[in-house]
Amino acid sequence: MTIVTDVFKELFKMFVADLRLTLAILGSVALVSFLLKFTSVSPLIAGLLLVFLCLVVLAEAILREAWMRGRPKGRPKGHR
Amino acid sequence: MPPDFWTVMFPAVTAAFLASIVEVVEAFTIVLAVGTTRGWRPAIAGTLAALGLLALIVIVLGPALQVIPIRVLQLFVGVLLLLFGMGWLRKAVLRSAGVLPLHDEIAAFANESAEMQSQTGTPQALQWIAGIAAFKAVLLEGLEVVFIVIAVGAGKGLLWEASLGALAACVLVLGVGAVVHKPLAQVPENTLKFGVGVMLSAFGVFWTGEGLGVAWPGADLMLIALAAVFLLAGIVFVRMARTKFERSAA
Repeated sequence: MTIVTDVFKELFKMFVADLRLTLAILGSVALVSFLLKFTSVSPLIAGLLLVFLCLVVLAEAILREAWMRGRPKGRPKGHR
Repeated sequence: MPPDFWTVMFPAVTAAFLASIVEVVEAFTIVLAVGTTRGWRPAIAGTLAALGLLALIVIVLGPALQVIPIRVLQLFVGVLLLLFGMGWLRKAVLRSAGVLPLHDEIAAFANESAEMQSQTGTPQALQWIAGIAAFKAVLLEGLEVVFIVIAVGAGKGLLWEASLGALAACVLVLGVGAVVHKPLAQVPENTLKFGVGVMLSAFGVFWTGEGLGVAWPGADLMLIALAAVFLLAGIVFVRMARTKFERSAA
């Protein structure tokens, strides 16, 4: 049972190493999908927006972690 | 040579090959600790059992994905690749910036060896524990390789090519490991992780976009442009993270 539990934990960590980053990526994809389906935004602009949003959420996740890890106290727990 | 060799096949197989090197090096360290502590029989048996299970997952899951409509498959796989690839890129950037420590194979080997030696029981029980430890290490590290192989392979029908890329890395690492007989601490794991994170993020954006109906300019050539964007961004983020880390520590 331990192996099965560890497999599921590993699968979870593969996609959710940072919960806020995961939610931000999913939110970005949902936003672009919404724009394509319900507005007249061109597919190319939507694609470029997806690239931009991915870079922004990645930068936010990296800088947030760097700031938290650099603080003398209150280092985050549970990060890989 | 297929027309999309340089734009799709080469990046897909390279991603599978490089990711496999990273994961097999980590798994090899644990298998080596098991082998040198408890003997090679349980270490090899556990490794082969895990490799067989991983191969079975690819053989069953890979073709099963082909029945899903291509647009749905591209969106599903694209989003998963985005989550996974950007996760790897985030960690590689943080390690390059000195925010997170680099993975230390020597320390991992010492920890696993100490854990093996601390266990007590009958010789048969210890052999079982050793075999299971090797099985678990190879299975857990191999899951990420299996995901990459299936993900980059399924989107463009490159399952066998990606599998061969991963298998080649496996043979290479195990071959070198068998010769040097110590943890492969010289492998630049973080650089490889950075590169794979860049490639998978590019694949993820590309396929997510295609799944949503985005018509990328230049079609498959856009993959190279996206990879260049993520690579440049990653390099810039390393500098920014280092500065942020030092400022918050001051």
